[in-house]
Amino acid sequence: MDGDKNNTVTKPNDGKNETFKAIGSILIALGVFVLFFYISLQRLGLELDFAFLYQFRYRLFYGFRMTVAISIFSLVLSLFIGVVSAVGNESKLLPLSYLAKMYVQFIRGTPMIMQVYLFFYIVGTAWGITNRFWAGVLILSIFEGAYISEIIRGGIHSIEKIQLEAAKAVGLSNKQTLGLVVIPQIVKRILPALAGQFASIIKDSSLLSLISVIEATQTIREISATNFAIFESYIFLGFMYLALTFPLSMFTRYLERRFSYEN
Amino acid sequence: MKKITILGLILIFSVMMLMGCSQGSGNDELVVGMELAYPPFETKDDKGEPMGVSVDFSKAFGEYIGKEVRIENIGWDGLIPAVQTEQVDMVISSMTIKEERMEKVDFSKPYAKALLAMLVNANSDIETMDDFNEPGRTIAVKIGSTGHSYAEQNLSQATIIPLPDESACVTEVAQGKADGFIYDQLTIYRNNKANPDTTKAIFIPFQDVEYWGVAVKKGNTELLDQLNAFIDEFYADGGFDDITEKFLKEEKVVFDELDFEWFFSDVNE
Repeated sequence: MDGDKNNTVTKPNDGKNETFKAIGSILIALGVFVLFFYISLQRLGLELDFAFLYQFRYRLFYGFRMTVAISIFSLVLSLFIGVVSAVGNESKLLPLSYLAKMYVQFIRGTPMIMQVYLFFYIVGTAWGITNRFWAGVLILSIFEGAYISEIIRGGIHSIEKIQLEAAKAVGLSNKQTLGLVVIPQIVKRILPALAGQFASIIKDSSLLSLISVIEATQTIREISATNFAIFESYIFLGFMYLALTFPLSMFTRYLERRFSYEN
Repeated sequence: MKKITILGLILIFSVMMLMGCSQGSGNDELVVGMELAYPPFETKDDKGEPMGVSVDFSKAFGEYIGKEVRIENIGWDGLIPAVQTEQVDMVISSMTIKEERMEKVDFSKPYAKALLAMLVNANSDIETMDDFNEPGRTIAVKIGSTGHSYAEQNLSQATIIPLPDESACVTEVAQGKADGFIYDQLTIYRNNKANPDTTKAIFIPFQDVEYWGVAVKKGNTELLDQLNAFIDEFYADGGFDDITEKFLKEEKVVFDELDFEWFFSDVNE
């Protein structure tokens, strides 16, 4: 927050100077970070050799692509599940409302590893979902949907009553109120949180390696299981996820800044 | 101001790293890493204490060199890294001596041996290993196990499903999600016994014997020499006969009936 404020206060002609300062600071911070790991490695007498990764480039690329695909499908499906669950939660039909509440409580209150096994081996088998990719997308979406549901519910509750009264006073119908006043504001308010949740989807997809979905993590596990270069493998895995989550977190920041001004 | 803060940070980091003493074990303690998930070799008793063949074996070695033994329970993937980073002095976890592993750690002489077998779904029409090496067949294996490398080398036509633990592999077969699960004979025998209606066991005929060894940090010849001398002595004194009697009595009878080679027979001959 402080950083944002500083940026707005900066005079235009200081812009260039500030940029240089920022880049310098980033480089120093990065240097400390790298140095810390380097010394840690030295202390253990470990030597890292990343050359073998080239040999596995096709598998790594395939796994990376799989992580991207799962994340994108899960984003769409979990958003749908989240909206349905949030609306269900607010429903005046009590059984429906409790069903939605129970779903959110169960998913948020239990670890994902247990849900992965439970859904794949019991629910999945019982209902004939044998494809690991789609089973994975489904499990991940059900998991993330509960969190998205809460984000959306927060958005719904953030709309002040007075706005609805104002809309009525202006003579808008219920439909118009929803479409012109309520939904645009909810979307605007929850967008940064939703974008942040997408980063969680990308990271949580790594748990699908439990049921052998050949995504990035599973690929790395398989490779390191045969050549035992576990440190190099997992460091590279970290960079693969960062390549996806870092731009996303920049985008989330951008959204947060933009909407914080507009409000 | 900022620069001073950053320089200070770097200084603090450096001092921390110079001062922090290494986390290795004390001199009187021998830390042994094992994955306590493979009964009766490495498992836990009802109170959660480490128990099994490897536990008794390591304690006997501790007595032999006059050190207190502490068992660290570490996941399979983490065992070799634990040796590399000196979190443990050695790994005794039914680990097969393999060339790829020897690039990362040193192994003692073999102390036991094992052969692979396959668990298949009870409804499956599979009878020989050749039936498996076909497109459309699916084989569950535990990630990083010798069954995993066997499948990659010998069943390249089939789809291999690497999973993190044994129970998931067995579930895959019992539910028919995978056609087979390759692991050592003891595990296959035991899981077949636990799921008699849904699975059957097939023993793989032509294969190399896998020798189990103790893994130590590369270049630790002192410990390695002690281990090798101890293994010879333990064999000569009938230590492994006592262990068989204590943990593997039933299995020994079945293995003898099936004409399988026993874990501790003629390992170094």
